[in-house]
Amino acid sequence: MSYFQQKEPPKREDRLNTCIVYGGTLGELADKTKKCRCLNDGCRGFSQGSICLLLPAIAILNSIPDNVNLVHGAIGCGACSHSQNANSRSGSGMRTGTVKDAVWLSTALNETDVISGAENKLYNAILEADKLYRPKTITVIASCVPGIIGDDVDGVVERARSQVSARIIPVHCEGFKTKIWATAYDAVYHGIARSIFDDPYLNEPLIKDDLYYQRLENKKSHTVNLFGVSSMGLADEQELTRYLNALEQRTVNPFPCFAEPDSIYKLKYAGLSVCVCPTHDDYLLEHLKEEYGVPYIIRHMPIGVENTSSWIRDVAEVLGKSDIAERLISRETAELNAALEKYRPLFKGKRVFVSAGEFRALATANLLRDLGFDVAGIRSFHHDEFANVEYEKLLKNVGSDIVINIANVQPFEEANLLTSLKPDLFLGHWNGNSTATKLGIPSHVIYNTGLAYVGYRGVFELARRLYRQLLNPAFNANLSRYVSLPYKKDWYGKNPFSYVKSNLDIPEDYQEDYPKEEAAR
Amino acid sequence: MNSINNSYIERPRYLCSLGGALSTLEALPETIPVMHCASGCAGSIAWAQNGGSALQVGGHCGGLTVPSSNVGERDVVFGGTDRLTEQLKNTLEIMEGRLYVIITGCVTEIIGDDIRAVAAEFESGDYAIVAANTGGFKGNSYLGYDIVLTSIVNQYVKKAASKKKKSVNILGIVPYMDVFWRGNLKGVRRLLEKLGLEVNTFFTDEDSLDGLKNSSEAELNIVLSDVYGHETAKAYEETHGVPYITATLPIGPTASAELLNAVCGALCLEADVDAIVGAENKRYYRCLELLSDTYNDIDLQKFAVIIGDVNYAVAVTRFLLDDFGWIPVLTQFTDVLDGERQEHIAGKLKAPAPLNGPKVVFDTNASEVVRYINELYPKRESDKYAETIAPAFVIGSSLDRAAALKIGAPHLSVSFPVSNRAVLSRGYTGFDGGLTLIEDLLSAAVAMR
Repeated sequence: MSYFQQKEPPKREDRLNTCIVYGGTLGELADKTKKCRCLNDGCRGFSQGSICLLLPAIAILNSIPDNVNLVHGAIGCGACSHSQNANSRSGSGMRTGTVKDAVWLSTALNETDVISGAENKLYNAILEADKLYRPKTITVIASCVPGIIGDDVDGVVERARSQVSARIIPVHCEGFKTKIWATAYDAVYHGIARSIFDDPYLNEPLIKDDLYYQRLENKKSHTVNLFGVSSMGLADEQELTRYLNALEQRTVNPFPCFAEPDSIYKLKYAGLSVCVCPTHDDYLLEHLKEEYGVPYIIRHMPIGVENTSSWIRDVAEVLGKSDIAERLISRETAELNAALEKYRPLFKGKRVFVSAGEFRALATANLLRDLGFDVAGIRSFHHDEFANVEYEKLLKNVGSDIVINIANVQPFEEANLLTSLKPDLFLGHWNGNSTATKLGIPSHVIYNTGLAYVGYRGVFELARRLYRQLLNPAFNANLSRYVSLPYKKDWYGKNPFSYVKSNLDIPEDYQEDYPKEEAAR
Repeated sequence: MNSINNSYIERPRYLCSLGGALSTLEALPETIPVMHCASGCAGSIAWAQNGGSALQVGGHCGGLTVPSSNVGERDVVFGGTDRLTEQLKNTLEIMEGRLYVIITGCVTEIIGDDIRAVAAEFESGDYAIVAANTGGFKGNSYLGYDIVLTSIVNQYVKKAASKKKKSVNILGIVPYMDVFWRGNLKGVRRLLEKLGLEVNTFFTDEDSLDGLKNSSEAELNIVLSDVYGHETAKAYEETHGVPYITATLPIGPTASAELLNAVCGALCLEADVDAIVGAENKRYYRCLELLSDTYNDIDLQKFAVIIGDVNYAVAVTRFLLDDFGWIPVLTQFTDVLDGERQEHIAGKLKAPAPLNGPKVVFDTNASEVVRYINELYPKRESDKYAETIAPAFVIGSSLDRAAALKIGAPHLSVSFPVSNRAVLSRGYTGFDGGLTLIEDLLSAAVAMR
């Protein structure tokens, strides 16, 4: 049975064997993943707070125009919207000329609701929200509390559907159920595909003659779905659209961020889906292929020169436009290389440490090496098999000895690593730069929606920003002289992975040629 | 007075009780919060501070650095105390602090983990451990501030052998929820020092943990809020015999003078408050003197719409009425408050006719503010001589920019969330704070000049 027939998607630790606990070298990791495809995940005896799937899910859904995000949970779930709203505002402003705040609501479950259930409250909230905001869609996002007290969120949504004009999308984000926050993308796609994939009423032609199919095929041949990520702003979207246009793709459907809810069904009528971050999208890409015959590419993340060129080549090959692609690539790379000359001397030999979501961290490490930096270490927030292609590039580029740390943030491991490795530059995630900053290491954010990171332009813009950061790192340097991190002194002498438990061994039931299906079960 | 109850809260302008508790702990020196909750709670709170607390996130041990047990499905089934025990043991091993405070989220609160028992296993003379049940569904972040401080007062604050004369504690200003908490607390301290008091503020960069530990020596607790901090003050009274008074957040000359008088009375001081107030007023108005041309030339008096939490909605409205001479026409409270409190608070915003006070609304749904304004100023297109709200000014949170835009008014964010300002040491309390607020209001009003 297709996953999409279930109410909730499976969690990624089950579906993909995704793991979040590892510490060792690149060589060791490659060795293990080659042997058994995935690490057997462990846990930590000491852990720090992190995010859950609710945050990336809300980040995506806050961007959808004319959507109301109704968070069914305690009053703090959804508070992340306060920072994500900046992206909703600037994104809507740049795309439509009108700056709009995201609309998020909370059912604010209290002690009484916990005891008696809150299905009626949710039902009323859906009706009231529909009446007041007249949105096109209402996403009902279930967080931990309804998951524990057993509210039938899908049942309430079904009951409310006929009472409201908005289309309702249930999205399951019970944070305690999965350690892998990337399950968020599956949860969002699951809800969207089940709730708003239908064609608009009377969209189908009365007569489906040859001309209809010819037209459809013709349209498909120049329509492509661009699966972006919430960390990608308009600048990055435009850069990739530029390449796709050059490959004679006239209609590009950016999805899911800022996708017009009434147009999302159009994904079904594209000739190809292209993925930007392989961590995100396999769940829906496969569904679009299976159900609607839309082929997809999920391989390279277009960050860095080599990756961008590979990304373009992959797309061009499927479209039969390789000639155009080669001309585009040679022209673009020549222009870019000339523009980068100014920055390379300052970067040469400087040691850099990166920390981010898996694909972004690895792709950015390759990019930085290309700019002349030495890669001192990498932290990824999780690991799954999609990234193996990127690890192979790294092995080739930087060798097998660099440190790889897989952790759902866990800054204590990072503090230990940075203190011993002493890099010259750090690139970290949103809300993940303070450790390096307090240690006085020049830092730059590895993703900030709105800044350019992707494609050839992204390489240039990132180089330009890093150059600026290295020109005057006084903010971090001065701060580090007077503030300290909250760890005991003797922590810094210890093995950074002292609190990692039990995944350093190959699982006992490991077999050679472990079939993929088995591993994923 | 209007009061609305919805099945939901629009863009809640607060976090949950766990978020309030964590924010409070992050602002304390030498304190390590230990979260016992699902993995996403810390992130959600950090993201909220990032977007709501005027760029201020974390603290010595905050953001994603906070130890957290990150309980999962297994713990929900079997209980999370084993995980907490392991987490606490290792936290004590790795994190440098003198005070460790366990706080719970929804999940562990619902499954009923006994955190006090876990804390008791690790008692030692070298550090202190406090446990507080802050599960997010209990209420909002203002309640979280009270829950965690009450737990600290009952479990950590030392029993005082004797009272320290002229020593007071300040409560009711909630870190990160009041984005000006550091500046506001310092402003209050400077103000009360004029009475010769020793003022314990806990959460500024000049405070130490010992100030909190010895806070039961205080003669008096001063709660600068009509709602927040009251439970903490009651805990001090019950556990340590420290009496308390409540007052409005003192912004500007009138409220500052009232506070000085109230404190002087409560402590039976022999200070000459009138002389202090006279001197401060002289200084304040000498500073303001330079605006006497431009304030009138540019016609800077406005009709004000105030949208905020209890502290700011009351204090700003009063400041505009009593000191600055603007006309507050509408004050909307976005906190959830019971009928009794609503009545008490609405009573604070009255003014004699014909000025009167503003229309007072209690509605968490702040996008409705335009509707309330339209109710005050019904107008048809053909009305040539209609009474309008112009020239207006909106004082609220950064989420109220849309409303300001709709009525064509300048806008200033003071109440959470404040996403469009950077705040470090700024504060609006005391006489000087009034001047700072005037600076900010008028700067916004003349930004296009």
